[in-house]
Amino acid sequence: MKTVVIGAGLAGLVAATRLAQEGADVVLATKGLGGLPTSQGTIDVWGYRDGKRVEAPLDAVAAAPAGHPYAAIGVGAVKDGLAWLAEHLPDWLTGDAAANVWLPTAVGALRPTCLCQPGMLAGAGATRVVIVGLARLKDFQAALIAGNLTRTGRVEARAITIDIPARSGEADSSALTYARAADEPGFAAHLAAAIAPSLGSGEAVGLPAILGLHTPGVGRDLADRLGHPVFEIPLPPPSVAGLRLNDALTTLAKAAGVRVILGSPVTGLKAEGDRVRSVTLASAGHDRDLVADVFVLATGGFETGALALDSYGTVTETALGLPVRVPDGDLIGADYWEAQPLFAAGCAVDVSMRVLDAGGAVVHPNLYAIGGVLAGAQRWKEKSGDGIAVGSAMKAVAAIMGGER
Amino acid sequence: MRELSTDVVVVGGGATGVGAARDAAMRGYSVVLVERADLGQGTTGRFHGLLHSGGRYVVSDPGSATECAAENAIVGRINADAVERTGGYFVTGPDDDPGFADKFLAGAATAGVPAKEIDVAEALRCEPRLNPGIRRAIEVQDGTVDGWQLVWGVARSAIGHGAKVLTYHRVTDIVVRNGAVEAVVCHDAKTGEDVRIACSFVINAGGPWSAQIARLAGCEDVEVIPGRGIMVAMSHRLVNRVINRCIYPADGDILVPVHTVSIIGTTDVRAEDPDHLEIPRKEVQQMLDAGEVLVPGFRTSRALHAWAGARPLVKDSRVSASDTRHMSRGMSVLDHAERDNLKGLLTITGGKLTTYRLMAEHIIDRMCEQLGDTRPCTTADEPVPGSESGHNYLVTHRLKDREAERAPGSGDVPTDPIICECELMTRSMFLDLFEQQPDAGFDDLRRQLRLGMGPCQGGFCALRATGLACDAGHADATAATNALRRFLTNRWIGLWPILYGDQVRQTALDYWILQGTLDVEHLPETEEVAS
Ligand SMILES: Cc1cc2nc3c(=O)[nH]c(=O)nc-3n(C[C@H](O)[C@H](O)[C@H](O)COP(=O)(O)OP(=O)(O)OC[C@H]3O[C@@H](n4cnc5c(N)ncnc54)[C@H](O)[C@@H]3O)c2cc1C
Ligand SMILES: Cc1cc2nc3c(=O)[nH]c(=O)nc-3n(C[C@H](O)[C@H](O)[C@H](O)COP(=O)(O)OP(=O)(O)OC[C@H]3O[C@@H](n4cnc5c(N)ncnc54)[C@H](O)[C@@H]3O)c2cc1C
Repeated sequence: MKTVVIGAGLAGLVAATRLAQEGADVVLATKGLGGLPTSQGTIDVWGYRDGKRVEAPLDAVAAAPAGHPYAAIGVGAVKDGLAWLAEHLPDWLTGDAAANVWLPTAVGALRPTCLCQPGMLAGAGATRVVIVGLARLKDFQAALIAGNLTRTGRVEARAITIDIPARSGEADSSALTYARAADEPGFAAHLAAAIAPSLGSGEAVGLPAILGLHTPGVGRDLADRLGHPVFEIPLPPPSVAGLRLNDALTTLAKAAGVRVILGSPVTGLKAEGDRVRSVTLASAGHDRDLVADVFVLATGGFETGALALDSYGTVTETALGLPVRVPDGDLIGADYWEAQPLFAAGCAVDVSMRVLDAGGAVVHPNLYAIGGVLAGAQRWKEKSGDGIAVGSAMKAVAAIMGGER
Repeated sequence: MRELSTDVVVVGGGATGVGAARDAAMRGYSVVLVERADLGQGTTGRFHGLLHSGGRYVVSDPGSATECAAENAIVGRINADAVERTGGYFVTGPDDDPGFADKFLAGAATAGVPAKEIDVAEALRCEPRLNPGIRRAIEVQDGTVDGWQLVWGVARSAIGHGAKVLTYHRVTDIVVRNGAVEAVVCHDAKTGEDVRIACSFVINAGGPWSAQIARLAGCEDVEVIPGRGIMVAMSHRLVNRVINRCIYPADGDILVPVHTVSIIGTTDVRAEDPDHLEIPRKEVQQMLDAGEVLVPGFRTSRALHAWAGARPLVKDSRVSASDTRHMSRGMSVLDHAERDNLKGLLTITGGKLTTYRLMAEHIIDRMCEQLGDTRPCTTADEPVPGSESGHNYLVTHRLKDREAERAPGSGDVPTDPIICECELMTRSMFLDLFEQQPDAGFDDLRRQLRLGMGPCQGGFCALRATGLACDAGHADATAATNALRRFLTNRWIGLWPILYGDQVRQTALDYWILQGTLDVEHLPETEEVAS
């Protein structure tokens, strides 16, 4: 079976790899990288429901209201997806799918997530903490993080700042530059020497997530040298933690036989009857039609431009011009802190992840939509983007390989 | 209650107020300026950014045009560091009356406003995004002006001449005894303290709030109606010169390049309350349509931010219509001695930012007259601190500064990271200003540094600024976090009315960073207690 997956975010990478593992012929066509390299590098399922903390994310999925993507995806596909990720990325993901952990963020909040990187885990439940800032890394401000963590009432935190250059002659180094430096032997010893004199007994050490881009053991090495637990805290883009997942998944996809076409947006489709025959790829110089039996749309949400709002207030799905479900009423409100209805707009799907029109009918029997393009979730408020992406990918693949058309 | 004593109290820290304070101080009076918020937080921070050449008024109000032309030259000199000499065009749109340009040229000649018709082809060569359907183009000497830079420069000059500037001091009472003003009472928002300033004269430069202020002195029947105007900033310079429609002044007919953005405006709609100026979607649409006439494709360019300001329209039957001696065009003076039998109070509103200096000169002349003095005005002769070199800035000035810091030979290792990449603001710029103004909120610093005013609207730099404030000991985590929340809340006011197109994409990314990755909305909330 020939399949085309459009988009290389978490949803697209998982779907493409799974399809290839199941024996399909897979082309992954994408405009660019997905949200992973800019995101927090853990796997969220559901962190907050109606503003309240969720302790058991799978229970929240099972109770998802009608119209939410999880209602169509179901708890089984989410569970399968988490298990699949943990199995295939053992270096980078760990955790109990049934319970959220609460990890410090780079502003000092305690944030829920489901699976996390092993090097972050010591941040969950640590009660005495030293936050270590790097003088040349501006996206991690230790005093603020320590101050806010202490204010949560669950942690006693203090801050220190050390000055270790990532590259000589640079006052302003990105997290990525630091991570590359940390991949080199000797960096952990260097860090340990700078941090050790400031530690008191029983303190865990919190660092920005820069402890190696591709080397999983840097954090453990540092912890051994210090004799204290060490944990990483994810950073705003460029996020090393997110890049690790992105790189690992991309490697996995290629190893499974997925052919990746990078740098080419999909700009439309050609149908035969109600079936999609091909999608149009705008590659350099000319358009190209990719013909296949099955198509999976995994283009993301408003942040990628997959969904767009024009100056007249119309929401569109930009790659294929599919029907979109848009909330009633005002799409954007005056309060920054409230959920903006606009961001719940997207494609509506059936339980097989096939796109539906306004009347609830399947638009094309061989077209599936997954991930950020799906309607019905307030992802950053719920902390639900990853779980929706993984769950919908698993669900679509099951439907495709199970032969449900 | 704290007690102070001075000759003159100026109420209002907008362009008019600081101009009046500087003028009075330069004439040798002791002066205290009080502003309820930060300098330039009122209309002076919510205007269009145009340093008028006078062109706009050559047909509708030639007197104004002449004043603008003269003040344009003076302000460009004394407030050099707040002005960019962009130049400007008046263009006849495809459907506009080409005959207006003839009236314009004749009017400009009479009013003494430099203006020269140029080939349409030449205009299009210099401004390639301009509508190729324009029919005529006239070159004028419009510039652009940073209202905050101007206000702070003028205030520093006033301070240099002995004036005291008290921000976050709201006037709560004007004390009158025996028919004369005796003192002004203020509330200091930062300390919670009341301050009584004994004085012999008060200049009310409260802009659209001036009626409220006059009422504090018992002048009940002053009526000032706010005329709301909206402006929309587009994410970069669609044009490098000020582009005006060559028509009788109307809505949405000017596009002004200021710093890294270009601003379309404006409207004029009666409002109820100058503290609550809405930005209706309908007017935003009107601005986008108007922009489309000047620059085709305007609607698909990225809108960054919107704001509204209020023109004070004074309705006053008691002002004598014949007495225009002391009036600058478009400016209203209420002489409360004449009007209310109250000595020692003058109210001045209206006018333009471009003519702020002239307005100040007129009002301080009138004050001198009432005090029986004849001290001459010298404000046109002396540049304000920072403008001594006489150099106007260019849009690339920060790039040049950052380059210079990084150039070989400028020291061994650069040590100053860039905190706001959109606006090239460095760590030391931020921390130095914080050091000088420890009471400032992030929005106060933003107005002077452009923190968070570029395309990402604070998505990246807000967190860094918060962390630096904490790290440098200017704020503890509670105060810094409250400042961050306020900053994000405030940025949204100007963002949500214009969210469409690429700015939606940016907003989604910013939300992912701030709420997705960082979870700012679940930081512990603590009410701020006034220290
Ligand atoms: C800064 C940031 C922080 C984040 N933080 C969190 C978080 O805290 N919690 C959470 O759950 N999620 C978070 N996410 C989101 C998460 O990582 C996923 O991106 C999201 O859940 C959606 O995944 P996706 O695979 O559907 O889409 P994306 O990851 O957005 O990928 C979409 C892909 O489609 C491609 N594409 C788009 N249009 C076309 C086209 N026309 N033709 C071809 N290809 C196209 C894009 O190039 C991209 O490769 C964050 C994202 C960002 C950007
Ligand atoms: C939409 C619009 C666009 C404009 N565009 C331009 C332009 O492009 N070029 C140009 O030259 N001019 C322009 N103008 C005109 C220009 O903005 C104003 O002339 C100028 O800013 C007025 O300054 P001001 O000091 O009189 O008033 P404001 O700047 O409003 O100052 C009044 C101050 O008084 C303070 N205040 C209020 N109550 C109290 C109290 N109780 N105690 C203490 N302080 C108090 C306020 O906080 C405020 O800071 C524009 C005006 C508008 C409305």
